[in-house]
Amino acid sequence: MGYSLTPAQADGVLGALRRRYCVYAPRRFPNQGRYSGVDVVRYAPVERFADIVWRQKSDYPVKEVISPIQQALFYFTEDEYRASKAPVRPILILARPCDIAAQEIQAKIYAGNGGFDDVYYQRVRELVKFAVMECGGGDDTCFCVSMGSNRTDNYSLALRCSDSGMLVQVADGEFEPYFQGLPQAEYTPRFVEENELKVTPPDLDDREVRLALKRHPMWKEFDSRCISCGACTAACSTCTCFTTRDVAYGDNPEVGERRRVTASCQIAGFDQMAGQRELRATAGDRMRYKVLHKFHDYKARFGDHHMCVGCGRCTHRCPELISISATVNKVHAAVEDIKAGMGKA
Amino acid sequence: MNHDINVKKLRLNCFRQSKVPGEFMLQMRVPGGMVDAKYLDTVRYIAQTWGDGNFHFGTRQTFDIPGIPYENIPAVNAYLEQYIREVDAGLCGVDMDTVAHQPQPWDPKAGYPTIGARNITACVGNYHCICGNINTFELARKIEPIIFPSHYHIKINISGCPNDCNKAHMCDFGIIGVYKMRYHPERCVACGACARACEHGATRVLALNEESGRIEKDPCCCVGCGECVRACPTSAWTREETPLYRVILGGRTGRQTPRAGKMFLNWASEEVVLGALKNWQKFSAWVMDYKPEYLHGGHLIDRAGYKKFKEIILDGVELNPECMVAEDIFWHETEYRSNFNVKPPELHHTAGPQA
Repeated sequence: MGYSLTPAQADGVLGALRRRYCVYAPRRFPNQGRYSGVDVVRYAPVERFADIVWRQKSDYPVKEVISPIQQALFYFTEDEYRASKAPVRPILILARPCDIAAQEIQAKIYAGNGGFDDVYYQRVRELVKFAVMECGGGDDTCFCVSMGSNRTDNYSLALRCSDSGMLVQVADGEFEPYFQGLPQAEYTPRFVEENELKVTPPDLDDREVRLALKRHPMWKEFDSRCISCGACTAACSTCTCFTTRDVAYGDNPEVGERRRVTASCQIAGFDQMAGQRELRATAGDRMRYKVLHKFHDYKARFGDHHMCVGCGRCTHRCPELISISATVNKVHAAVEDIKAGMGKA
Repeated sequence: MNHDINVKKLRLNCFRQSKVPGEFMLQMRVPGGMVDAKYLDTVRYIAQTWGDGNFHFGTRQTFDIPGIPYENIPAVNAYLEQYIREVDAGLCGVDMDTVAHQPQPWDPKAGYPTIGARNITACVGNYHCICGNINTFELARKIEPIIFPSHYHIKINISGCPNDCNKAHMCDFGIIGVYKMRYHPERCVACGACARACEHGATRVLALNEESGRIEKDPCCCVGCGECVRACPTSAWTREETPLYRVILGGRTGRQTPRAGKMFLNWASEEVVLGALKNWQKFSAWVMDYKPEYLHGGHLIDRAGYKKFKEIILDGVELNPECMVAEDIFWHETEYRSNFNVKPPELHHTAGPQA
């Protein structure tokens, strides 16, 4: 069933939904951007229709709702511990198709990977339903179509927001009661069919080509350009790496908590091992690791899709203006080069 | 050529005497150093029609047009009317029919009425710069009607951030855009980028506590630059919603006692900065007993003493809660002549009501 809501009617539905669900959507945080006078748009609870930022994509990804940057896993007192309490209320997240595709990838990492389910992830994920926000095509950093993440059928509601309100498709009967008596309208969501940006992931099936790519001089560019800040992985829809940190309360080391904290393969020290050895000691090495993970390694291990969903947030957030799509296209060119040199073209 | 020219009168009219007798250089005000590029046509027309065809970037960000013969000045002034109306009256809201806020009709064909309050200079600020905390030229445009037209001298430089590219430390009243920062520990990944940025580019007030995974801050010495915000990959440091200002007082260059300015106000709101500047005419008038001299603002503070300056300049100004005020200021001057201030008492300057 479809509905057409004015902003006031949308406020009413949101109010009713909020009595049962925690409703998250991209929300504007004025002047919290990297530069003064620039806002940040990130996921947060929304109360009214006007809180929802639908015109532009969020700076930070949906994953912050399900696997926040920091969370307490368990609390300890001497030799006893208690797990942190799971959230109780169901969660409704307004997300674009690429964001929903990203959550399917996150689920592969957190649940069942290596035969292990991350309970702290699972217990939140099980509470989540999605309202897909129709995307007008994103911006000039987006390439969802290239990555096949432009469509989704994993949603309970579909929304098309505009200044005059929202069109809603109710796909999950559980949500019908919230719309009873509201004006009906024909609506099925449209999905982006073409982005301005097109990315061709390189063909890296050949191990010899991969080894040659690892030594290719193209990565040296990033030794001087990339500052290894990790803004790209924080903004990434699919990065899941984290570390844990035990924090003692006050001056008593016997009482405290274990916290999960987001980590980044781009930040120096991420891969430091005993003996201070680092596998990837330069920015170029770290960049190569990230790019190949997103555009080869994950797919080689898990199957159908590349890990990157083409949301473009890493490009969007990079303070040094390094573009992931330009980088992948450089990899593509380097691979062609390598293959030609090996007589494999 | 006319050899009988009142150069002092022309100076008040913003025409500077040339070493070539009978030639002058026009200085056009550009408050905050930013105007529509269309005015470059105005500059070019004046320079090519009445000047020697050259153009100089004034050291106080004026459009300087040299080589204007004395007899061309009336034509230049008549042509300037539109620029003055559009930029000073229009863009900045200056009441051209006043001098030091007292009614005094402006002859629109006679060019600039005063030179005392100098052009307000500014860096490009956060209109463009990744470091800038404030829109510098918008602030300049708010200040312009407070200080101009006036025969009381004041040089105001605005810098968008504490890097102070525009040298707020080297003028009478330097304004620097700052922010109080907010730490969001729940977004912090303990990478330490902010602490390294602060050490490298600011005052080393941040440190990563390896035990807690939190950043610790010595708020006392924070200069409010925002390097931590720029460095943070997760927006765990953000600026507060409203910018604040640092005012650097009494800097100057010159042949006698050049010196860098010192901090007068810290974390002042825009209302406080504008409120203090509204008292500038009153302070200058008091020092010179209502008889303007061609004397730069910093020297007035010397004559009155900082504490008298503070009393008058903050009169009626309601300070915002964060605002700090210097109780006293001890400048460090370069005395080109040793013991410059030790001289016969009859050479001492006076301030306040005169007999």
